[in-house]
Amino acid sequence: MYRISERKSVIERPMFTEHCSVRCRSASAREENAPGNPLRTADATTYRRRSLVTRTLVFLSVALLAGVASLQAKKQPVPAPKLPAMSQGAVEAKEVSLVRVNVTGQPFDYFRPWQKKAPFTKRALGAVLPHNHVLVTADLVSNQNYVELERAESGEKTAANVVVVDYEANLALLEPTDKKFLDGLQPLELALDTVVGDRLAAWQLEPTGTLVVTEGLVTTIGVTQYPSEVSDFLTYRLSIPMQYRDSSYTVPLVKGRKLAALLLRFEPRTQVMDAIPAPIIAHFLKDAEAPKYQGFPSLGIAFFPTRDPQLRAYAGETGKAGGVYITAVEPGLAAAKAGLRAGDIITAVGNHEIDENGSYVDPLYGKIQLNNLFGAQAYVGDTIALQLQREGKPLTLKVKLEHRLAEDYVVPPYNNDEPPGYYIVGGLIFQELSRQYLREWGANWQKEAPQDFVYLDHFQSELFPEGHRRIVVLSQVLPANSTIGYDDFNYLVVKKINGKEVKSLGDLAEAVKTPLNGFHVIETVDDPKQLEINAAEAAQDADALQKNYGLPALQRVP
Amino acid sequence: MHQLRFLFCALALFTAVSTQAQPNGQIQSSLVRITSTEVEPDYRAPWNSGTINRGVGAGFVVEGQRILTNAHVVSNSRYLTVEREGDPNKYVATVLFVAHDCDLALVQVAAPNFWKGMKPLPFGGIPELESTVSAYGYPIGGERMSVTTGIVSRIDFNLYTHSAIDSHLAIQISAQINPGNSGGPVLQNGKVVGVAFQGYSGDIAQGVAYMIPTPVIKRFLSDIKDGHYDRYVDLGITYSKLQNPAQRHYLGLKDDDRGVLVDTVLDAGPCGKVLQSGDVLFSIDGHPIASDAFVEYEGERVQMPEVVERKFKGDKVKLDLMRNQQPLQVEITLGSVWPYFVQSHSYDIRPRYVVFGGLLFQPMSLDLLDAYHISELRVRHFFDFFVSEQIYLQHPEVLILTNILPDPINSYLMPYRSSIVDEINGKKIGTLQDLARAFEQPGDRFVMRMVGDGPPLVLDAKQVAEARERIKSRYNVLSEENLDEQPPTKPAVAVKEAQ
Repeated sequence: MYRISERKSVIERPMFTEHCSVRCRSASAREENAPGNPLRTADATTYRRRSLVTRTLVFLSVALLAGVASLQAKKQPVPAPKLPAMSQGAVEAKEVSLVRVNVTGQPFDYFRPWQKKAPFTKRALGAVLPHNHVLVTADLVSNQNYVELERAESGEKTAANVVVVDYEANLALLEPTDKKFLDGLQPLELALDTVVGDRLAAWQLEPTGTLVVTEGLVTTIGVTQYPSEVSDFLTYRLSIPMQYRDSSYTVPLVKGRKLAALLLRFEPRTQVMDAIPAPIIAHFLKDAEAPKYQGFPSLGIAFFPTRDPQLRAYAGETGKAGGVYITAVEPGLAAAKAGLRAGDIITAVGNHEIDENGSYVDPLYGKIQLNNLFGAQAYVGDTIALQLQREGKPLTLKVKLEHRLAEDYVVPPYNNDEPPGYYIVGGLIFQELSRQYLREWGANWQKEAPQDFVYLDHFQSELFPEGHRRIVVLSQVLPANSTIGYDDFNYLVVKKINGKEVKSLGDLAEAVKTPLNGFHVIETVDDPKQLEINAAEAAQDADALQKNYGLPALQRVP
Repeated sequence: MHQLRFLFCALALFTAVSTQAQPNGQIQSSLVRITSTEVEPDYRAPWNSGTINRGVGAGFVVEGQRILTNAHVVSNSRYLTVEREGDPNKYVATVLFVAHDCDLALVQVAAPNFWKGMKPLPFGGIPELESTVSAYGYPIGGERMSVTTGIVSRIDFNLYTHSAIDSHLAIQISAQINPGNSGGPVLQNGKVVGVAFQGYSGDIAQGVAYMIPTPVIKRFLSDIKDGHYDRYVDLGITYSKLQNPAQRHYLGLKDDDRGVLVDTVLDAGPCGKVLQSGDVLFSIDGHPIASDAFVEYEGERVQMPEVVERKFKGDKVKLDLMRNQQPLQVEITLGSVWPYFVQSHSYDIRPRYVVFGGLLFQPMSLDLLDAYHISELRVRHFFDFFVSEQIYLQHPEVLILTNILPDPINSYLMPYRSSIVDEINGKKIGTLQDLARAFEQPGDRFVMRMVGDGPPLVLDAKQVAEARERIKSRYNVLSEENLDEQPPTKPAVAVKEAQ
């Protein structure tokens, strides 16, 4: 009933977004637009890789990645590590350091923000780590109501708590309530040295608890966007003939009995898997040891390759090739605080020289995108020296790295298991715009959701450079006495209420305390521009609204 | 909506059916078959002449030795012939007037022989619901005239798909009409009650056909009396109903169910600078406006814009309104609202463009976006909100870097494709002329800022000059620009500088 007629666009919308802490606006995205264009150059094809990153398919409720950026093979393929115990495809479960994880989740319903959707259960495998911890993906435990660990060999169960969750890196740590539950399982150590050509073994369990091992080859290692669409992190790509099994949500990948990676996404047709690599897991685990989890740092810039000599000359760069051109600096974030400006060219990060495509030479992987220097390799609080060229002159700036919280965005990119805020006045439902809300339009939300909302989300840093605000929308109208004639209004961006600027639901809650001459005066960006309701009548409607529409409360202000 | 273009002939039928059996009289002496050879512009290689197609449609003789047909039968036409039944000759014809916004056109034939024995068809009014009508034409390729009958199913405003943005009165009939009926008359009691023009394809709905009713036809015939077709006129405003009692109370209105609220006033429309957002309109030309935006007009309850629909360019309309609690009367001189044309199909023009350094720049239009399948979010936003957010004030023409003809000077510029030009060497670019002029300026380099916070696009002037002939010959670019042919839109609003 509330999915009121969605606006349809005539022409297709892009499937990509450009939100990541260090955005390479290589504008690859635009290249997407003309399939079959005969004028596409080889150059364009290289760019294309990045834009494919966010094309997602779904398998096992895990999104699949279709492209990896700047990947470089460093080593020749090496023979697979010997795994004698697994050569028959099965070992005793107690040896394999896996537990089943059953998660009953109940997502919030953003179309009816006062309620949750029906609960459903996901089954996965968790990797047993030291300190009585179990590692899973964050996807698995999002919106969780109840997490349960299950011993594969015995079926014994215990409840578990989520210790830390990082939706950007898609990792979460669980802890059994029964401290002895994991006894007898050998914690996994991390294998941090995986390189292209290595063979990793995906561990899955038969219903009987028998281990099933599938080997795959690491074909590329690069930096890709993770499902939260916030950050680009190191990713292993494997070619692996893995089969779907019960509890395949989180699948550990093992190298010589050490944990090398965790399944990020898998495409069964092409048998291509992307995995969260051990260096990202190690970063997460180290952060998790701190009293307060910090998360991965975010620089807050968008950059562009400097391969074009005309652009280099314009930027005053006459020296040797290399460096990336900063196209935008997000106000209030680390790079802006350090004094970086659009137009600067970053030539080195720490001791690493940056080439004209934005890559540096990693000792382990060879050439890889510079994002990795702010992902796996750097921590919040670190200070990193950036070598710049500004108007042809060299300059060194020190950046103190910070993490950008989801709530620091104008349109929060993901939800930290917080219930969505809403505010109902009369029958008018007000909500804050968030990616989570937009995702309610389905996997194809970038085309299906109201297009001005998608636009506001996509270009939020450009449209609201001052930040520190939310976008409040009149999302729908519940017919009531006070809203006669307004039934057809939906998806309107709110500007002011009762003469006061509304930049959050909190602002709105304040503003409705002081009606103007007995009226709530709502001003919107879109037509109708203004609507008014009688404040007293709206208050009278409250009980009937709650009763008729089954609203437990008329507001939840974050 | 999938458009069925009833491009076919309608022509005299005189052997198979006796005249006595025809309730509508001798239709044969009024119907013609029109063959049009048209050139469809190629937006992806705009310097080329385009693809040549041939289509056939119907038409019928009206007063003054003229032939009425659909605009889409003669759009982009380069050569027209007309045939009569029982006459082996093909007569050369020319388009007199074409109205793309209501899909009607008038064609003339110079040869006096053609008119011998031809009789104009008289016009009727709006047929009653459920009354029977007959459609004449040559659907799905038959050699002989087909007659289909049906009843009038619905009379309502409908989208005219030829332009894709105009909505006018259209009558839905149950007579089977198919490609080949276009331009053919629909008759009742020997009088024309409509021109068959569009319908749905079978996979959406069946037996739903539309004809252009006589009020629309008569308006077209009146509009051209001064020798020029001026298009439909529009107020260029959006408005909301005023049905909420609290809102009425807040605005100081009586409980008399009258008035609509003005939401947006388009600067480029006739009400620009006259009406304001927040005005409450009470009456239009003395007809009271109800709170649901209907007016009593000629004994019927019709939507408010219909009062304007029947008027012409330069006509005046009186509005009674309330602004800041004070009554006010204004007179509006009506005209069309050009920014809408960007969102409509265009015909009979060659695409405008500039090629510079192998970069192809073209102004945004519906046909351009269709040709390139541009899905870039910013371009889509500029297109969808071009009128409603008045983007045309800053960008009378939204200039898109649509394509790149690869050359060493633009090897690294592919990422800029589908971006929108904002300024060149610090100067704001609002029209294609601005762009062409900016590229003529002397200097070492051209620094183009695209809309958004992307990197600048830099072209070295010397290298561009060197590459010019090379690119022209390699890609057979016959002409590097077409600035002359203005779209009918003619951006009239100057770019606001430094905003």
